[in-house]
Amino acid sequence: MDPLALGGLVALFTVVVLFSGVPVAVGLLIVATGFLYVFDGPRSLQALPELFYGDLNSFALLSIPMFIIMGAAISSTRAGPDLYEALERWLTRVPGGLLVSNLGACALFAAMSGSSPATCAAIGKMGIPEMRKRGYPDEVAAGSIAAGGTLGILIPPSVTMIVYGIATETSIGRLFLAGVLPGILLVSLFIAWAIFDTWRRGAAGVALSGVTYSWREKFEILPRVIPFIVIIAGVLYALYGGIATPSETAAVGALLCIVVAVVVYKMVQPAALWTVLRDSTRESVMILFIIGAAGVFSFMLSSLFVTQSIAAWIADLDVNRWVLMGVINVFLLVAGFFLPPVAVILMSAPILLPIITAAGFDPYWFAVIVTINMEIGLITPPVGLNLYVINGIAPDISLKKILVGSMPFVLCMVLAIIILSAFPSIVTWLPDYLMGPEL
Amino acid sequence: MSYSASAPRTLPLAIRLILGISTLCGIVASLMMFAAVLITCHMIFVRNVLNQSTVWQTEVVIYLMIAATLIGLSYVQKLRGHVGVDLLPTLLPQRMRRGLGIATLVVTAVMIAVMLYYGYDMWHFAWQRGWKSETVLAAPLWIPYLAIPVGFALFLLQLLADLWLSVTAFPMDAKGLPAIGLEMSEDY
Amino acid sequence: ETLKLSHQWADGDVRHQVAQMVADDVAAAGVDLEIQIFPNQTLFKAREQYTPLSRGQLDMTILPLSYAGGQQPAYNLTLMPGLVKNHDHGARLSASPFMEEIEKVMAGDDVITLVHGYLAGGFGSNKDCITNPDDVNGVTIRAAGKSFEQMLASAGASISSMASSEIYPALQTGVLDATNTSSESFVSYRLYEQLTCYTPAGDFALWFMYQPLMMNKTTFDSLSAEQQTALVEAGKKAEAFYLEQAKLGDQIAADAFSNAGVELAQMTEEDFNAWVALAKTTSYPAFVEEMPDDGQRLLDLALAVE
Ligand code: NA
Ligand code: NA
Repeated sequence: MDPLALGGLVALFTVVVLFSGVPVAVGLLIVATGFLYVFDGPRSLQALPELFYGDLNSFALLSIPMFIIMGAAISSTRAGPDLYEALERWLTRVPGGLLVSNLGACALFAAMSGSSPATCAAIGKMGIPEMRKRGYPDEVAAGSIAAGGTLGILIPPSVTMIVYGIATETSIGRLFLAGVLPGILLVSLFIAWAIFDTWRRGAAGVALSGVTYSWREKFEILPRVIPFIVIIAGVLYALYGGIATPSETAAVGALLCIVVAVVVYKMVQPAALWTVLRDSTRESVMILFIIGAAGVFSFMLSSLFVTQSIAAWIADLDVNRWVLMGVINVFLLVAGFFLPPVAVILMSAPILLPIITAAGFDPYWFAVIVTINMEIGLITPPVGLNLYVINGIAPDISLKKILVGSMPFVLCMVLAIIILSAFPSIVTWLPDYLMGPEL
Repeated sequence: MSYSASAPRTLPLAIRLILGISTLCGIVASLMMFAAVLITCHMIFVRNVLNQSTVWQTEVVIYLMIAATLIGLSYVQKLRGHVGVDLLPTLLPQRMRRGLGIATLVVTAVMIAVMLYYGYDMWHFAWQRGWKSETVLAAPLWIPYLAIPVGFALFLLQLLADLWLSVTAFPMDAKGLPAIGLEMSEDY
Repeated sequence: ETLKLSHQWADGDVRHQVAQMVADDVAAAGVDLEIQIFPNQTLFKAREQYTPLSRGQLDMTILPLSYAGGQQPAYNLTLMPGLVKNHDHGARLSASPFMEEIEKVMAGDDVITLVHGYLAGGFGSNKDCITNPDDVNGVTIRAAGKSFEQMLASAGASISSMASSEIYPALQTGVLDATNTSSESFVSYRLYEQLTCYTPAGDFALWFMYQPLMMNKTTFDSLSAEQQTALVEAGKKAEAFYLEQAKLGDQIAADAFSNAGVELAQMTEEDFNAWVALAKTTSYPAFVEEMPDDGQRLLDLALAVE
């Protein structure tokens, strides 16, 4: 059978199997096993567990559970609310100040957490009820946190970037740096929208709500932000001070966050510690299971020569590179509606990367584009990890309201993709400046 | 998502046992992840402060992470933490939703049984031939490989318990699976 | 008929070129045999190739045989300090009774060799140049191969094991002081950007790694006589090319470092002998201990090659 036709058949089966509702990892295993059995013969089944094991057998993957523990530890404490409250005291005079504080807190928290759900939970637990209490509409309260939480995978550290780095053999340190300026750009767009929206709706009264803070109150809260600075400084020191490799740094961050949670926030009850470990184990195992299964899936695609044929076919199409990029963006967006970021990246990166580099795009720039697409996927149904989190925090806000509220932020992300396409150096400048030109 | 908190007390012993084992697996997996944090930090300490060789830590940490993933599978299944596209189940009427839930559980169980079968073969091969890792540590590979059959076997057990609950008309969640995710924390 | 060949290297690497040569020659022979190459770990991960090869799930591969040293301890002799002195010596070793013994072990795993070949490597450092065992005392180093780790550790080095992809950032941030790997890796990872001194594989070199192109024996036996001949002929031709390129590779690495303004150091015969003396008390006994039944005999066979 022609590899391209086979690729079409694989795509069809994958969609059917995944839509049945089986776990994504199991779905990938089923499709891979089925196609290997039919087209490669029974001998390939024997290799299944070795392939699965082989894909997990990498020290770089360690940073995934570590960065997740980091976020879970710190989000189980008062640190998130403290951060957001500090910002709020300083931003009361800005239209939509509370909204802006929440978005800013999401961005800062994202610098400590590798995962979006953790960021969403950390800020949303306090932020959503507070915004609703102060008269913000449910849509705005839920939508802003859902969107702000997605910054967790763009602003370093980022689990998505790690997976991209492993799948494409690009430098994880460089990927992290590539996410910094786009992260700042995106949160600035979010904030600009929030201010404009509040002003537009004439809701300045809601935003200010008569609460004012004295300078004393403003400075009083600053010490409570110190743990954040300690953690971020500690991780940066470990990474750039010759202490640890990028993969090891995640463990330093995880330990640092647990220590801060125990020492500073007095999280000493075994139940609280267990909650942290349990939540991070659940998210890590889910992601690592997908990584192992996606390894088997991409082995199948490669073994049947589908990956290679698709790459060659697209290269032969000879379309305009921006048309190509547009099509890839639509593909990523649609895939992101249905699949968690890790699965999309693992399934598509081996096929897309050769095409991207052949068309003259920078792999680090593309990582950021992929990540922003994945951020959109996190807040769109049917599979949107951040939607589950918001649902847990505020079960009475309907999915429709969350979606309506997050729609403007999705448009901000699309705008960010357009801006980054016009000015790719926003992505590449910082890594080039700090690490020298690309290898 | 709604969960029936009182239901498990009326469950047969075998099912309660499986649910208990899955929770135990979750604890073991969590401790393995935590151990990986400590060992990695220990390695950094030994290298930077004691200025000594670090030859075993990287390898042991990888084994711990793989084992935690496999051992954790059953617990994450119990928590309904394996993400899937649940659009179709939520659109279906009650009866068909349960039917689809049972079908997906059966298919999942078959797939995991295949992984278990070949995973046992992989472990047995390494054990029989005395394979070791090609490092100074020279760890016998049957030890890390053991996580594969054990992890998939425990996962299969949890799937069979879910299947039994589905067939016996246990209360169902929005995805058409038995609503046992009691330990779901409120923030997810 | 199509055979699958998996390897871990990029398209420009000498090992890919060797595989490509064999594939091209076999195709040109017109014996209805095609070799499909999967480079860059696009099929199996680097260290996960030997098992599927031996179990018939993969037809061909080209890899460092010592990767499978945990399965067959004898393979550890293919990455042992001081056993190979230069490329021509390596070629003689490939044709010696020692290699016949190794091939017997491979046959037990249902594997045969089509192309023999050794690649050499050197040392790179950010502290003092590494030529002598005294130079690594107190140095944090990442070594390629456990026999080298054992020898370097006994010379007072701190061994730090990490993935090869992490060497560059580790040297950059100072997590590592030095590293030891193949000439090819020194260039492909652009380590000349991070090192201050490089000791290339010259007249005397310590680090040689046997990296043959192998095939599953059952698959080979199932081919027609013409197909087998085409494979063997292609292998012979590629072997000559491999040897030539391996020598060239050391020079390319030395040039790359010298062009980047990195200091070059040379290992003298006394330096080499000092390392070997150290290996005799560390790596060699450790190997024999691991393979108590047959290790000493195999080691002596290897050492007997002139
Ligand atoms: Na982050
Ligand atoms: Na989605």
